[in-house]
Amino acid sequence: MKTLSSLLRSLARALALVLLVMIGSTLLVRRAPGYLSDAREMDARYGSTVRAELAHESARSSLPQMLAREAKGWLHGDAGVSRQFGVPVRELIQPRLAVTGALLLRSLLLGWALAITAALAASTRRRSGVVWQAPASLLLAIPTAAMATLCLLAGSGGPVLVMALLIAARDFKFLCRILRQAWLEPHLLQARAQGIRMRRLLAVQVAPAIAAQLAALAGLSLVTALSALVPVEVLFDVPGLGQLAWNAAMNRDLPVLLAVTLLMALAVTSSGMLGGQPGEWERA
Amino acid sequence: MRIRLLPVWLLAALTLGALAMVARPGASYAYQDREHTLAGASLQHPAGTDELGRDRLVRVSAALLLSLAGALAASVLTTGAAASIGTLAAFAPRGVAWLTMLVCDAFLSLPWLFLLMMVRSALPLQASPAHSAAITFLVLAALGWPACARAVYRGGVGLKRAGWILQARASGLRGRQLIRQVVPNLVPLLLPQFLICVPAFVIAEANLGALGLGIGEPLPSWGGMLLELDNSALLFRTEWVYFPLALLILVLLLLEAIPVEA
Repeated sequence: MKTLSSLLRSLARALALVLLVMIGSTLLVRRAPGYLSDAREMDARYGSTVRAELAHESARSSLPQMLAREAKGWLHGDAGVSRQFGVPVRELIQPRLAVTGALLLRSLLLGWALAITAALAASTRRRSGVVWQAPASLLLAIPTAAMATLCLLAGSGGPVLVMALLIAARDFKFLCRILRQAWLEPHLLQARAQGIRMRRLLAVQVAPAIAAQLAALAGLSLVTALSALVPVEVLFDVPGLGQLAWNAAMNRDLPVLLAVTLLMALAVTSSGMLGGQPGEWERA
Repeated sequence: MRIRLLPVWLLAALTLGALAMVARPGASYAYQDREHTLAGASLQHPAGTDELGRDRLVRVSAALLLSLAGALAASVLTTGAAASIGTLAAFAPRGVAWLTMLVCDAFLSLPWLFLLMMVRSALPLQASPAHSAAITFLVLAALGWPACARAVYRGGVGLKRAGWILQARASGLRGRQLIRQVVPNLVPLLLPQFLICVPAFVIAEANLGALGLGIGEPLPSWGGMLLELDNSALLFRTEWVYFPLALLILVLLLLEAIPVEA
């Protein structure tokens, strides 16, 4: 009963979050000073047509109307029509979801494998901290776009590697801290002093103790990966959601951008719900 | 000089050097020397020129100053907003605190870059470079506060339950008087948040600029200069194209290395 009520509470919170994100994003877009302007206005061939389209848009896009339309559309699985392509946004998003999903999944798996390996090595040896911290700090100091460009120039590494390195560098710092704290527990110190094998301790004692923090950190990894998605997909020419969002931003296609942003918020909120309390990782 | 403060001194030296470069008589980040486009290092142009013949060292110096000034200003704004919101939520009734933290979570559930792209793409077409720079950093400030506000809120709740605060409230201390006592105790929490925001804003501006959505030309920015790396033809002509990236990485490493403990 307690589990059910806690599940219902987190579901209600997730729904409230998505609703807030929808209201906030719509408000942001509608109130932006350039909402009713289009790059095609500058072209004499399209000027009058575009101005007519924008006047029509202006007439039907007061904030409450927009919000109602968005909410109604999303409830029916309709995210509006792309200004740039004139096709339903859903048709643009659907084929790209699988591409982005596969990229995210592979990057997260590789990133976590790298981060866990490095964090285990750094947390169990007393003087190896700097050896692992230095590359992680260096990786975090390189903008994702620059890292992707350097990989392209070097002709080695792809989108998965760039995103995995970024995820690994960010998560390594948290994982290292979590594991260091865990290893300092008196019962684990005692067990190590008695010569119990690390692998066994890790599986039986450490992993269950830090499972909740790891789950919350997984949610944070998703946010990191999503933030890196746009530069990586744009520079490596991956036809995913990040590239679609960038294309929409460059062409002021706000319905597409709004839909992709809401999808991202939905993904992060769902992962946060699965991963546990939102502030869990901050304890690390 | 204490070794812990070395990054701060190095950053100060870099900033002074950049200031000297930009303030040098005749130095202009927009001046185009069409006789020497994509030139290598020389006495006239110590780090060469870009494809329009603009002095790369002056442009990198101006980008460093602009980026640091913008990121610092945005961090001050975001930390100030987070301090106000976090403290008020901590001392407000539970319903208000819950709602404030829900708004924080809504912001935190959106990847920054998507929000930044959405806001930047909705700007008027005729925004000037100075406006685009101001708007970019203002947007960063507007989006950066929730994580910091959450930390302040937690610190504030801890303070609210502290014995001396209970004693003060029982003795009749209210409103402004109470806040005057609480805020200095939150400074050790705010300083690290401020220092975390600065490199985050610098890197966000660079990423946004590298996607063509940052500060407009001819104003120099890290992101704008990283765009040069996309042109492989330039890379074969001069290795100085990598200079802005190398300096950006150095600045970010120094910013990350600043000790965050108050």
